[in-house]
Amino acid sequence: MNKVFTDGLSFALPLLIIAVGALYSEKSGVTNLAAEGFQGVGAFFGALAATLLGPVMGNGNQAIIYIAILCAAIGGALFSLIHGLLCIRFRANQVISGVVINILAVALTAFFTSAANSAISGNASNKFVLDVSTRFTIPLLSSIPWIGGIFTDMYPFEIMIAVLVVFLWYLLNRTRFGMRLRACGENPQAVDAAGANVNRIRWVAVMISGALCGIGGICFAYSMIGNFSPSIYQGFGYLAIAAMIFGNWKIGPTTLACLIFGLAKSGGLQLCIAAKLPSNYMDLFLMLPYILTLLLLVFFSKKNHPPKAAGEPFDKSKR
Amino acid sequence: MFLSRRLTGKYASLWVSLLAILMTLAAASILLLAMGKNPLIAFRSFLQGCGMIPKENYGGGSGMLTDLLDFLNYLAPLILASLAFIAAFKAGLFNIGIAGQMLLSGFTATVLVGYNKGLSAVVAKPLVLLIGLLVGGMTGALIGWLKYRFNIHEVVSTIMLNYIISYLTGFFINNNYVDMMTRNSKVCSPDSRLTLTNIMIGDLKCKIPLGLIIAILIALLVSFLFRKTVLGFEIKAVGQNRRCSEYTGIRVNRTILLSMGLSGAIAGLAGVAYYLGYTNTIIPKTLPGMGYDSISVALLGSGAPIGSIFAAIVVSVFQQGANYMSSTVGVAKEIASLITGILLLFASCGNYMKYKAARKMQLAADLRRTGGKEAKAL
Repeated sequence: MNKVFTDGLSFALPLLIIAVGALYSEKSGVTNLAAEGFQGVGAFFGALAATLLGPVMGNGNQAIIYIAILCAAIGGALFSLIHGLLCIRFRANQVISGVVINILAVALTAFFTSAANSAISGNASNKFVLDVSTRFTIPLLSSIPWIGGIFTDMYPFEIMIAVLVVFLWYLLNRTRFGMRLRACGENPQAVDAAGANVNRIRWVAVMISGALCGIGGICFAYSMIGNFSPSIYQGFGYLAIAAMIFGNWKIGPTTLACLIFGLAKSGGLQLCIAAKLPSNYMDLFLMLPYILTLLLLVFFSKKNHPPKAAGEPFDKSKR
Repeated sequence: MFLSRRLTGKYASLWVSLLAILMTLAAASILLLAMGKNPLIAFRSFLQGCGMIPKENYGGGSGMLTDLLDFLNYLAPLILASLAFIAAFKAGLFNIGIAGQMLLSGFTATVLVGYNKGLSAVVAKPLVLLIGLLVGGMTGALIGWLKYRFNIHEVVSTIMLNYIISYLTGFFINNNYVDMMTRNSKVCSPDSRLTLTNIMIGDLKCKIPLGLIIAILIALLVSFLFRKTVLGFEIKAVGQNRRCSEYTGIRVNRTILLSMGLSGAIAGLAGVAYYLGYTNTIIPKTLPGMGYDSISVALLGSGAPIGSIFAAIVVSVFQQGANYMSSTVGVAKEIASLITGILLLFASCGNYMKYKAARKMQLAADLRRTGGKEAKAL
């Protein structure tokens, strides 16, 4: 039971930060299907930094993880510039742009991972091996019955993400910048009339989105997979987008959606282990989050309220 | 000015595609130069690997024709997959799930017909096509239904279905149909395959891809559908303005369902042409990369069914020639996907290129009219 909460949270929180990233971009009026690509490229930059720093700072040095997270955020933000360029500057179709970014991300990271590996170690492997992040247990809280698992074996980044999400909620809903950002997604002409620069706000939103997705990606690479390889593209980004839609483009409900996914995933796995099924059956349980997503969307998509101007390039001359 | 005139003229889309290809070749050359390789040799190797230029030497029983037929064998499902994307794209829908639809129909046809040794070729081959059409069509229609009934964005639902299909078929293959040696699914019977193997032409051992005939037929059919029929017109109308179509009395829901079903059905054909023609086996839990390449092809062909045949040839040259290129130049073959990605990037800027060209033409026309005074003042 404890294991369900521990693993569920370590899956749900990186997913949440990606979902919030996608949300920032969509709220500003730029449809973001590129989350999958952003998180992969972010993780690539983070893992590259960790691989380069490993010999310098000593293997197993936990500070590397934080530098990697920072590099992932920067890398994700840089890569998101391509999405911004296509959607904001070149007025390309935003859904197509998202798909383009995702395809490009897979190709770029696969190619440059083997290129970087052959440059560093002379052996063109397609993955960066990462250190294991330390885990910690909060003493008193972890002994609470039922929910103690939440506070057991936590990754440091879980706390970081939780704090970051609260801050991001505040930024989006309680500040002038956040209000303008949301207005850009609903009625950009009004923002323009009020004297703000719509396209600049959208650029900032897309870059925030890239940075947040990058953080999510490197956290997945550190926790679930333990290395950076093409297996980072397991559809986390799409799952996060589904969580965002299910959460009706609001941070609070999106958090709930991510928690449900996380618990469904870890619960399914524990169920499979508890029932002592052969390992082949694991695949059936791995399907659970995706099926659950579809089912939940069936019930919740109907009365959704997506940002009105999402998907449209800003045109000053329109009304 | 030459380019602006071309980009606003009658064949604008063709010029956009050509420009995108040129820019991609330039970008790829820069990349190859940066790695210290000769781009010209690399590009020649791509073409040699596809049997378009003769290689220096060949093994026994193979020649340029074998390479070319292998290339066509890969080309057939790619054309079909890109037609599948176009069928939905015309209605304003993004079928990202072509990979999943291909896998599901390929798997079903493999299990039902491919492993059924009793069927003769005359029965088995049409049956394979029929299963592809039906399974793919039903999956596509399901996505269309989820779209209009529950307002689920097709991109999200197709991706979810991709993963579900991938795990589900992977589970059944690993449990029931796995070949212990290769860890892939067992190969299908030769009678059910859409590629005739071991045909001797001269002294060359060749494969004859029947899928290519189907692919070209379907391309003509889809082209006819969008040019000449009411349904095709309605699909395009819904794609351009859903609300307006509704006011004019087009049954939008039905149109979404039909175009998504059509898209899925063609994707199903692509699936059987891929799994029962090109590969002859299924790698469990792996979606075919072709599902995503098809989007590049469709965009490069600017959504035109016949144009996509030529676009598919361009993309296939990179994908199919990558192995030989990798062996001669020594660049990882992942570069093929990277080049396809860059191609897609430039192709998606097509509208902006046209827009810029139109602006330039307009400005030039103004200049001529006012004798250059006012335009300069601006």
